[in-house]
Amino acid sequence: MAMRCSRCGAQIGNSYVRFNGVLLCEDCARELKIDEVFRRQNSIFDQAFPMLDEFPGVFSAGSDLDFANAKIRCPRCGTTLRDIESGGQLGCIECYNTFNESIMKNILKRQGSSEYMGRKPGEAADVKGEAKQGTPVQETAQVKPEIKEESKAPEANNDDILTKMKDADLSTFTDQEIEDAMKKAAAAEDYSLAVKLRDELKSRKEGN
Amino acid sequence: MWYEKEGNNMDVVLSTKIVLNRNIKGFPFPPKMSDADRENVLGMARQAAGTMGLNFVRTDELEDNAKEDLYNQFYAGYAFLNSNAKTGYLMSKTEGLGVIINNTDHISIVSMVPGTDVVTAYKRADDLAVQFEKSMDIAYTDKFGFLTSQIKSVGTGMQLMMTLALPGIEKTEGAVQVLAKRVEKYDWQMIPMTHSDGIRENGIYVLTNVATLGITEQEIIDKTRKVQEDIIKLENSCRKNICTKKKGVVEDQYYRAYATLSYCRRIETAEALTLINWLRLGQNYIDTSDADLDWNKINKLTQKVRRNYTDSAVKGVRPKDRASARAAFIRDIMKGGQAS
Repeated sequence: MAMRCSRCGAQIGNSYVRFNGVLLCEDCARELKIDEVFRRQNSIFDQAFPMLDEFPGVFSAGSDLDFANAKIRCPRCGTTLRDIESGGQLGCIECYNTFNESIMKNILKRQGSSEYMGRKPGEAADVKGEAKQGTPVQETAQVKPEIKEESKAPEANNDDILTKMKDADLSTFTDQEIEDAMKKAAAAEDYSLAVKLRDELKSRKEGN
Repeated sequence: MWYEKEGNNMDVVLSTKIVLNRNIKGFPFPPKMSDADRENVLGMARQAAGTMGLNFVRTDELEDNAKEDLYNQFYAGYAFLNSNAKTGYLMSKTEGLGVIINNTDHISIVSMVPGTDVVTAYKRADDLAVQFEKSMDIAYTDKFGFLTSQIKSVGTGMQLMMTLALPGIEKTEGAVQVLAKRVEKYDWQMIPMTHSDGIRENGIYVLTNVATLGITEQEIIDKTRKVQEDIIKLENSCRKNICTKKKGVVEDQYYRAYATLSYCRRIETAEALTLINWLRLGQNYIDTSDADLDWNKINKLTQKVRRNYTDSAVKGVRPKDRASARAAFIRDIMKGGQAS
């Protein structure tokens, strides 16, 4: 499998830098000013008769690069890029500006999208759903989870379910819901959706 | 105690907890704050508490018994309650609801409910969050949402945790891996409950949300309910399967566990939890008519054994005395006492 730069996602060729476990392409390393290893390599190759004992020093220079992360600092609180990469801990609000967008995006990859979609300050989120409390736990085995009721409700209209399935993130549906929708899609001759749902079910089973 | 109330599906989901993190503009995040900044934030929290009907306490002024109550009811961790880093706590009249001040973030609203009722837990926390946001200048940008000290919660600032008792899944070969992969699809993470000293709580798992940025609060809640449904279904089917195929073994272990917990004089946490797992596994699926046991007792036992202030105290109580005290409250609960 081809290696990719952790910062820009580009496929990496022969020139790359690995520091603190993060793989960077040559361009990103230069942008972050940790490209000394490339500069020293070039200078050595430019020489007609380089000293042989310089080679090991040049190609093992990667270990020095660990310290580069400690040099990029937040001007307000002194938090370094290394602090963030090692623990995910920011020091102040200014850190969000200091550590440039692409690095933040890279870190935020763990969370999925980097686009905020939640509510605004002071506005309560309109969260829907039954807020039942106090169902006797002894009856648990007989009680149907609330979610079941919800998934049954739209059955009256097949088109609604199929439209919803087309646009929605399938990971939010249970196996049963997808299987039901797949049958309905096939019955409604919406074969592209049926295939999509079949593939999702298949990948889940393989994943399991 | 909030966890002794009745909740939905408490045979599998012990509790659902929501933490909403908020920070105040103009101050560094707590790990980088000076003492003066910490005092300022405590002052602002005290002022806000007055208008919001909450009781403000400084943790360095808390009595030991108050710390014990807050710890034993999962409101705050041992290290937080015993640090002298100018931290505070806002107590609500609503059980299971409170606000931690100056821990990882300036304001961490904690809302806990027994069982699966994630909507109630969220609404309670969100009501408080909105009040803070209206009365303070909260750190927020349109791009990142609510700015938090931990990158993992930036965005909605919302961390959702479910504590699960999964003896059926744990005793079924490969089922833990199946479930872990399954919850990953919902952008969740499942980890075995482990104490800071590395001791694992057998059969107890924590499920947390991962995505907080490219997702709305409603979507997090919806995914939570889907995850809950899947887990409850899988755990119940594993329990039923084990109790059908190994009926004799489960019955024997169930009554041995019942007898040991009813009459023990010294018992370690790990052993107690292993025994409680057998009770949980068999309770709905074998003949339990010879045991005076219900889900309320089993859940109370589980939570009290898991969370005991004296167990976490570094000094003061000898291990064998802790084991004796633990055995005493377990016997009391088995007899139907309050063990408070």
